[in-house]
Amino acid sequence: MLEPIKNNWRILLLVVVVVGASIALFAPQFAPETAPGENQSEASQGITNLQYGLDLEGGTRVRAPLEGYTATGVDFAGDDPVTAERAVADELDGVQLRDVGSSVGEDERAIEVTDPAVTEEEFRAAMDASGYSYEGVRPGVTAETRDLTQSIIEGKINEAGLSGGSVQQVQSLSGEYFVLVEVPGEGRSDVVSLLQERGTVQINIAYPSENGTAVEEGVLTQDDFENIGTASQRDRGTGSYVPVTVRNTAADGERPPAATFQQAVVDRGFPAAYQSEGDRCGYNPETGEIENSNPCLLLTVDGEVVNSFGMDPGLADSMESGSWADSANFELTTPEFSTAQEISVNLRAGALPAELDISGEGTSSTISAAQGENYKNYSLVTGILAVFAVAGMVFLRYREPAVALPMIVTALAEVYALLGFAALVSYPIELAVIAGFIAVVGTGVDDLVIIADEVMSEGEVNSRKVFDSRFRRAFWVIGAAAATTIVAMSPLMVLSLGDLSGFAIFTILGVLIGVLITRPAYGDILRRLLTIR
Amino acid sequence: MIAIEVPEVNYTEYSNRQLVAVPLAVLALALAIILGWYLVTGAPANLGLAFTGGVELRVADDGGNVEERIETEFDRQPDSIRSIPADDVYVVTFRAADEDPEGLAEELSQQADDAGLTTTAIDQVSPSFAGDTARTAIFGVALAFLGMSVLVFALFRTFIPSLAVVASAFSDLVIPVAVMNLLGIQMTLGTIAALLMIIGYSVDSDILLNNSVLRRTGDFYESVSRAMRTGITMTLTSMAAMIVMAIVATVFGVDLLRNIGIILAVGLCADLMNTYLLNVSLLRWYKFEGVKR
Repeated sequence: MLEPIKNNWRILLLVVVVVGASIALFAPQFAPETAPGENQSEASQGITNLQYGLDLEGGTRVRAPLEGYTATGVDFAGDDPVTAERAVADELDGVQLRDVGSSVGEDERAIEVTDPAVTEEEFRAAMDASGYSYEGVRPGVTAETRDLTQSIIEGKINEAGLSGGSVQQVQSLSGEYFVLVEVPGEGRSDVVSLLQERGTVQINIAYPSENGTAVEEGVLTQDDFENIGTASQRDRGTGSYVPVTVRNTAADGERPPAATFQQAVVDRGFPAAYQSEGDRCGYNPETGEIENSNPCLLLTVDGEVVNSFGMDPGLADSMESGSWADSANFELTTPEFSTAQEISVNLRAGALPAELDISGEGTSSTISAAQGENYKNYSLVTGILAVFAVAGMVFLRYREPAVALPMIVTALAEVYALLGFAALVSYPIELAVIAGFIAVVGTGVDDLVIIADEVMSEGEVNSRKVFDSRFRRAFWVIGAAAATTIVAMSPLMVLSLGDLSGFAIFTILGVLIGVLITRPAYGDILRRLLTIR
Repeated sequence: MIAIEVPEVNYTEYSNRQLVAVPLAVLALALAIILGWYLVTGAPANLGLAFTGGVELRVADDGGNVEERIETEFDRQPDSIRSIPADDVYVVTFRAADEDPEGLAEELSQQADDAGLTTTAIDQVSPSFAGDTARTAIFGVALAFLGMSVLVFALFRTFIPSLAVVASAFSDLVIPVAVMNLLGIQMTLGTIAALLMIIGYSVDSDILLNNSVLRRTGDFYESVSRAMRTGITMTLTSMAAMIVMAIVATVFGVDLLRNIGIILAVGLCADLMNTYLLNVSLLRWYKFEGVKR
């Protein structure tokens, strides 16, 4: 009973792989995930579960670095980061505090400038003048700013309901970071304006009044913020926060925003309500009512309340005494780091912390949906014709269907298994991947030719032992050849060279599936056909 | 019915020097072409958009002498206009050495819209990004070649036969680059992939030959002809696939597939020569003279 299984396990393994690939390709369980507001039939493209990349589906890809310079290895000399930022900003003409950021972590202590007008020389001069020592200046921004930019762009794409859009950070050979944005089905100008547009953000105060909760609108608006920090974690204790600085300067005859904000906070009774650490804001976003008697600060984006805050007793006291407006900074505190990140994103209302330098060092490409559809059909035809060419050559050479036919079938099984894998991991099929498939058919058949020639050389194959020893000899060459292909292709897999990592990944995977599964199976098929006589 | 019969070559009629002369002459010629190209144009090959920077538009052909309109409607003179009949589009390329390519892309697509031309795709690459891509590509090819060489030496552990494989792989890489220059094919990301693929593909037949001669018993010429039978079938099969891919992709205007197809076909052709002339003679010298020393 077990004997036939043991003798043919290589063929059985191939069958299992092919069945598995079919399930991955066609079973609805493996269908692509749906984006919010999208139904199943919209998410899947065609009858298979395959996902297509931009060049086969149409869409826009933008790849650009974030503008700015970062001084690394900064010695803050015990000053808090905002003081250092202010010192550097003061040395730069026309640069606002919000365009200077800093990062204080275990592996990075850096100050960055994100105003595109500042040159590297100007930034170096400002760093020198500020008196903080540093190790070096590199182009680009800090990791925090990159992460924040990425999550803001992700937020924008999700909000716009663009399914299949993605944002990644990629690093080039020279160590520079790029932000890669891909949006299927959208034109270039739509994507660029999506990246640049921003919403309106303001802070309101909700306070209890005689007839329920009343709201004082716009105590702080977008232009009142001098600086919005990135989400940070407390060094000691738990909790996370976003540091914010309010502008304390104003045109002649007007009160600075910090002073009006301070006045509004005191008028609405914050100092009286927040006496101890235990006092909380009781705002309920569902009803818009305050459930206790404490006033609250509400953060709104495009008119929607997104976060609500109470106030630290110390902060409330300094507002009451009127001393707060001199420094005009506070921290929006939450227990969760992820919420702090959200708040930082919300406060910026879609404005990126650093500008994407699409024109200077970036690339962008757009392919219309019709063009993508054409590419899809053409590459399918190209692939099929290439397979026919290989099949034709093999038949001409061997003139024996028993040898040639399994060869073609095995090579196709290899591509089929690869397609199944692509569907399983939802890897988008691109032109480069299709070129990889054709390359796989080429190498695959090469190796099958080696097996066939080796096995059939030097007379009849009349016993299993003879067959096995010849098969093993053939396998040494195949293994060596496969290893060189993998070595040659692996740089492409990791270097950031456009679409070519897809080509490399699928060529390497194809070689692996070939050596481990399909080529041994072809050996078994050939043995059965040759030793049966 | 036509059948493929791998010809028997009578190597005994030729001396090693005669056999080596042909591939070395071709290699020298290829290197001379690349060097000349570098001296004249400042780059070893015709660099494509990805390595120079610029803007490329695909303009749909709506039947109303589009080519003429493309030449007149844009404020800038296009650097090249290529027609792709199967797709009914024209590919228009504008080089931008140091200008603002993003602005240029906007401007050109605006001008195309104003002129009533339908753009189906726009590609924009900035010059500094392109320079970075070129460095990365050269690094990638060098790394792949180095990795392959180390692996080959580790597999055979003898100097001359390993060197023979590495030398013919080098020649297999250089000859297609020279042919690309002569045919006016641009160096693109696709051709870089194809060059790396050649490293993988071309080494196969060399490994087969070395294995047959070094690791198997039997007469030298018998081993060589056995390896040739298999090796030439392999290379011809791959070439057939690549030539068909190149032709079909040219008709359809799928540049990436066309470039990969052409480069691999040329590289495999070069590999036939290098394996069965250069590699064989080095192996014969090693087998009959080198070992005795």
